[in-house]
Formats: sequence, structure tokens, C-alpha cells
Amino acid sequence: MTDIANSEASLGSAVRPAGNRPALIFAARVLFLVLILAAWQGAVAAGLASAAFVSTPIGVAQSLWQLFRDGEILPDLGTTVLEIVIAFSLSVVFGISSAVVLDRNDWLNRIVSPFLTAFNSMPRIALGPLFILWFGIGIASKVVLAFSLGYFIMLLSTLGGLKNVDRDLLLMSRLFGASELRLFRHVRFPWALPGIFAGLKLTLIYCSAGAVIGEMIAAKSGLGVLLQSYSGRFDIAGVLALILIVALLVMTLTALMDMIERRLLEWSRGSTDVPG
Amino acid sequence: MDMNPVDIAVHDLVVNFGQVRSVLTGVDLAVRRGEFVALIGASGCGKTTLLNVIAGLVPAASGTVTVAGSGPAAGRADICYVLARDALLPWRTVMGNVEYGLELSGVGREERARRAATYIEKVGLSAARDLYPSRLSQGMRQRASLARAFAVDRSLYLMDEPFSALDSQTKLVLHDQLLGLWEKSGATVVFVTHDIGEAITLADRVLVMSKKGTGVVDEIRVDLARPRSAEALQADAHYHDLYRRTWTSLRASAQ
Repeated sequence: MTDIANSEASLGSAVRPAGNRPALIFAARVLFLVLILAAWQGAVAAGLASAAFVSTPIGVAQSLWQLFRDGEILPDLGTTVLEIVIAFSLSVVFGISSAVVLDRNDWLNRIVSPFLTAFNSMPRIALGPLFILWFGIGIASKVVLAFSLGYFIMLLSTLGGLKNVDRDLLLMSRLFGASELRLFRHVRFPWALPGIFAGLKLTLIYCSAGAVIGEMIAAKSGLGVLLQSYSGRFDIAGVLALILIVALLVMTLTALMDMIERRLLEWSRGSTDVPG
Repeated sequence: MDMNPVDIAVHDLVVNFGQVRSVLTGVDLAVRRGEFVALIGASGCGKTTLLNVIAGLVPAASGTVTVAGSGPAAGRADICYVLARDALLPWRTVMGNVEYGLELSGVGREERARRAATYIEKVGLSAARDLYPSRLSQGMRQRASLARAFAVDRSLYLMDEPFSALDSQTKLVLHDQLLGLWEKSGATVVFVTHDIGEAITLADRVLVMSKKGTGVVDEIRVDLARPRSAEALQADAHYHDLYRRTWTSLRASAQ
């Protein structure tokens, strides 16, 4: 999510592009952040914007500090993280395995693909109240909502990768005597891996959104519940602080996936980063 | 060579694409064991199709095809097929790619590493053995592909224009490396190309195929001494005689 894909590297250029110095980039990022925060704080201080509507960076920082100081947020944070983790894991496991099954059974793919497209085209968020009705106000309904978003992303990105596998690599392997299992292990799966990683990152983002929005509709605990009560009280700083927490959580997990991706896809040098 | 038993026998072969169009009709071919045969012809003459029939990738509509005593089948343990594209796995290093062929052939881990290293050295890629294919030039990639093919030590090699994407200088280097690998292997080779110089440099016999898909219309015996050097042949008068002879034949076949 942090580096722009460097397509030149995959063309075999051995030279590192200029301006690729990590320290410099980092410093520029910090500067960028400071400028935005200063503009925000300055606009409120100068009376261009009202703190009652947009809060201030300092106000958000204070809310953040309060949330953690009392430990008030921890049970809710725990609920949301649990929902995200369960929904994400289910999306990954079922998404990838469905893609493998559909890739290997063309007739099945042709039968179900319009239904998959139809289901994926539905605004799942709008189904949130129905999920609450069917699965209760506990974590199950949020997991279902988040899964309904994440599953299709994982399925489609894996299937896309498996479908466009290089025919020559398959042919070469077959002619060397490879079994179907080996074809999958040595050709199909590695070929789909960049697509899978792109899918993983998007899935995480959508699972987080699904969980939080589900909680905002109706829940006993979770960051979404807090969000609802803060926005009801017009506590803008509190709302922004909570959103910041979710963003940081997702960014941390994404960074972790980026690290794994860089190791596994060292050969490609390109990046599967997608704007999310 | 002429005493060796026939390794590949094709008789009265017909190949159809779809219901109506026949690509090959009444094709005959005999290749002896240990022989290097080049198939040459205008594009559309069915040379690659004939190779693919021998490889078991394309079914024959009628006629008989015998490869080392049995019918053609894809993935046979005594045949190695070298594609026009190098088909290296992008996620494996040169070493990993050469080992891949051995791995699929059921060679154990240690023997695999030993043989891969030997063949990588033979094609002069030792310095690049830990590089990924994306870091290699086209010529280096094709050399890695040759190392992978010859490391598995099959008795029959089917090659479909493996050097067509290379510039002429790089081609000469690759010709010498292929000759080096093949001369020690004793394998039978059927090599498809549209490059006359390449065919003469490499082969014992150059077979010219008709544009009409009726198979071999002319045969040029290449009586150049072995071991050959692709570069030295460029200055050889007899090489150029054979070249002219093949060129005339090829032009006639296209009419």
C-alpha cells in the first residue's frame, strides 16, 4: 500500500530508479502529514472552520488518549478485532478454495458465475439490517456481513489469477510429466499468488468496513457502537479518533501482509499494490 | 548413423484441424536413432504440427506414427519437448528452473542439485545460477531452458523453433551450446525452424516441407564434419553451397 508499483524493474532494468532513498521518502511523508495537520488546526484557529463540525487535530489526539487511558475502548476494540479476524479468515479460506474448485470445473463455473455476479452486485451493506434480523445482534451478524464482502473479493481475485496462468508453463510442465497436483503446486498457485495478495489486502479493508458498519446498525459492543453514540452526541473528535483507530489497525495488518508478500514474491519485483 | 534403427516412423499421416481443414496429408518421415534432423518450410507448411503429432500433443486423423517402438503420448519419460518460448518459471532461479525438470522426472534432491549445477556450467550460466528469469537476457533464458532440457537426459528431443526470438549473434552462441550438449548425449533430435543457416549448422539432414501440407519434398544431407562450430561454419564454402541448395529447394517448395 505504501510503494508505487515499479513496473520498470520487471522489464529487467538493473538500475534502481532515482529518488528511491527510504530516509528521504520517510521525511517527506512526515512533512506532508505535519502540513495537513497544521492546515487543519490553523483553519479552525483562524475561524475558517468551526471546531464543532470538524474538530481539531489536538482534539482528536485528546479523545484518542482518553479512550485508551480509561481502557474504556478495550472491550469494544476486542469485539471488532475478533469480528474482522473471523470474517477475514473465513473469506480467505472459502474464497481461495472456491476459486480453485471453479477453476478446475469449467461447467460448474459456467453454471454459478451469473449467480456469483448477481450476489456480488448487491449492496451488501444494505442487507445489514436483514443479517441482524437473521443472525442476531451478536458478532455472528457482523461476521456474515463482513464475510459477504470479503468472500467475493478473495474468490474473484484468486480466480482471475488462476484463469490467466501461462499456457506455456503448463504445457512445459505436462511434457516433463507433471501430475495435476504438481501443476497446481508449481505453476497455477504461484502464478495466482500476486492476485491473491492483492485480494488479501482488499478483503481486509472490506471486512473491517463490514464489521464496523454492521455494529453501527445494531450491536451490543464494538467500535461501531461507540461510533454511533459519539456521532449522536456530536462528539466529532471522538468519531474521528475511532475511525483513526480502525485505519491504523488495517494499516498495521496490511504492512504485515506487504512484508510477507515481499518475501514470497521477491521474484516479481513488481508490486501487487492496489489503491484501496 | 545410417545403420542405426529407426527411432521415429511416420507413415501416410493425415492431420485435420476441425472437421474440414486438413493441415497435413500423406506425410512420411523416418528419423534414425541419434540423428539430428531439421524440419524446414514456409510458415503454414505444418512443420510444428508434425512435431506436435510426434510429441503426442496433436492427434492423427489417420496414418501411423511410431516413436521408439510405441505410439506418441504427451509427457513420455523418454521424450523432451523444447518450446519456442523458454517457459522458465518466473518464481524460480536459474538453478531452481533446471532442477524443476529433474524434479518432475523423479530425480532425488541431491542428484538434482548436482546435475543442475553441471548443466548450468555447460551452458555458461554458473554466474547467473541464483538469478530470477526476469533478470536474464533472452539468450540467457534460452540457455537455461536448454540446460533444463538436457539435464533430464532423454533419448529424444523435439524442438520447436527454440531460437527464433534471438538476434543472429546470440543464435550462433546458442547453436554451439546446443551442439555441445547434444553431441555428448547421443539423443535423437527433431528440430523445427524457418532459419536455413540454423538448420544446416545443427542438423545431419535438413528436410524441406511442402507449403501444401503434403510433407517432406526434399532432403539435404549435411555432410559437414563434427564437432562443428557455428562461427567457423560462416567462413566455410561448403556450408554456403548447402545454404544455396536448401534455399533453392525451400523456394520451390513454397510454390
